[in-house]
Amino acid sequence: MYDFSILSDDTVFALRLALVLFTVGFISFVAIALYTLIKSYKFNSKHKDKLKLVCEVAYFHERGKRGNQEDSVYISPLEKLEESGLVAACSDGMGGLLNGEVVSKFVTDSLREHFPFKFDAQAENAKIIAGISDKVYEDFHLSAGATLVMVHIFDDLLNFYSLGDSNIVLIRNNRATLLNSKQNYAAVMIKKFAEGGIDTVDAYKDTRARGLTDFIGNHKCNVQMTSKPMKLIDNDIIIVCSDGVTDSMPMNRIVNHIHFDQSATGIARTIKYGVKSSKNPRQDNYSAIVIKMRRSIV
Amino acid sequence: MIEYYTFKHRGDALDYQDEVFLRLVPSLTVAIFFGSNLATAPKSQALLFSEILNSEEGGRSIDYLSADFDECLDEESEYLILRVLNNGVECYRRGGVYAKIIKDGQIKVLPNGFFGMSKDDKIVVGTAKFFKYLTDEGVLADALVSDSCSDWMYMMIRRISDQTQLKCGNLSAVTLKLNG
Repeated sequence: MYDFSILSDDTVFALRLALVLFTVGFISFVAIALYTLIKSYKFNSKHKDKLKLVCEVAYFHERGKRGNQEDSVYISPLEKLEESGLVAACSDGMGGLLNGEVVSKFVTDSLREHFPFKFDAQAENAKIIAGISDKVYEDFHLSAGATLVMVHIFDDLLNFYSLGDSNIVLIRNNRATLLNSKQNYAAVMIKKFAEGGIDTVDAYKDTRARGLTDFIGNHKCNVQMTSKPMKLIDNDIIIVCSDGVTDSMPMNRIVNHIHFDQSATGIARTIKYGVKSSKNPRQDNYSAIVIKMRRSIV
Repeated sequence: MIEYYTFKHRGDALDYQDEVFLRLVPSLTVAIFFGSNLATAPKSQALLFSEILNSEEGGRSIDYLSADFDECLDEESEYLILRVLNNGVECYRRGGVYAKIIKDGQIKVLPNGFFGMSKDDKIVVGTAKFFKYLTDEGVLADALVSDSCSDWMYMMIRRISDQTQLKCGNLSAVTLKLNG
């Protein structure tokens, strides 16, 4: 097809050399690519157990239109994450009662003192919380109280504890779910109406509906807790917050405002400005801890 | 021991047209008929459903029962039968009635057939209308914090009520817990 005899010897030599060099280059490229693939596969297999769900944490703590700050938050030391997990709690001093800020601060300080909590000892942890409540009862005799929501995350498992009507929100697959059940009179009335086979419209109209049936400062309170942990997955977002957040920015609005590639800090910032932009003239104190779960090499 | 709680609510409908059926012999059988979703003669279909389960046939195997239902009931009928056995549950569902199991901190829809269960696993059976206003995470959280089947049920009812004030048509569900 080609008559190489018409080419000079130097040109043929140059062509042959180029061909040899190209072949050597190609073989080297394939060898390096294969080597890289095998190495990365071996690395991933070896460190598979280290691909854990890790937490990113951010928080905000704002006064709103109130004269004082009655919310208090606690986040356990992140350097203890590996051994003791993450504990995040928010306590909201009860409106209408005195010393709300004193009680909520006392609650979070007490949690700090009791840290670390045993992850699988839910009943024991609930007892500690009930003990804190009894202490508040002894000091204030129902003249002061607070709510408490607390999450304990260890690897990909979540336990939560709740007293009162603050919120633990889980955002998964673009849907927000309130995890804890609010301990207020509305729940009691809804149960009664449902048992009686009627609708529950009046339960929401009742002026006592938002009144709490249990809270920190109540004698022998009944702490709501998970008896077994809940499994978390990659990209779960957990928001531990006071009702000042959800009153001004309902859960579905939170979901609409955040992006799932945002960091915990970004999500916290979005929620904070969302509450601020609602311009509620009676904005309550608003505090939230945002936890984002992400799978990554530790 | 098996603990269970049943919930039936008319909602804002004129009649209760679903049917929740429980049979204890030879072993606990829970059945829900989703009559409120049926266009024609839901009452008579629900009655026929109960009669079959009440009769001797009701004690037969799930395979036999489901074949019997398929033969006798309207082809649009939607129902679920769940039988608790020694080491698990057997389930057969047709249409918009679901059973969801809470196991190892996760929630899953029970498939047709046999499913092994361990102590403290929980199951909720309900119509599509019941689950319409619930997220899986909400059902799971309520199951994990509740002490009894009735507590669990009313926590879920509260979630439905928060969205609909129970003006959402018939609601039918059963919660079950194996206590070992």
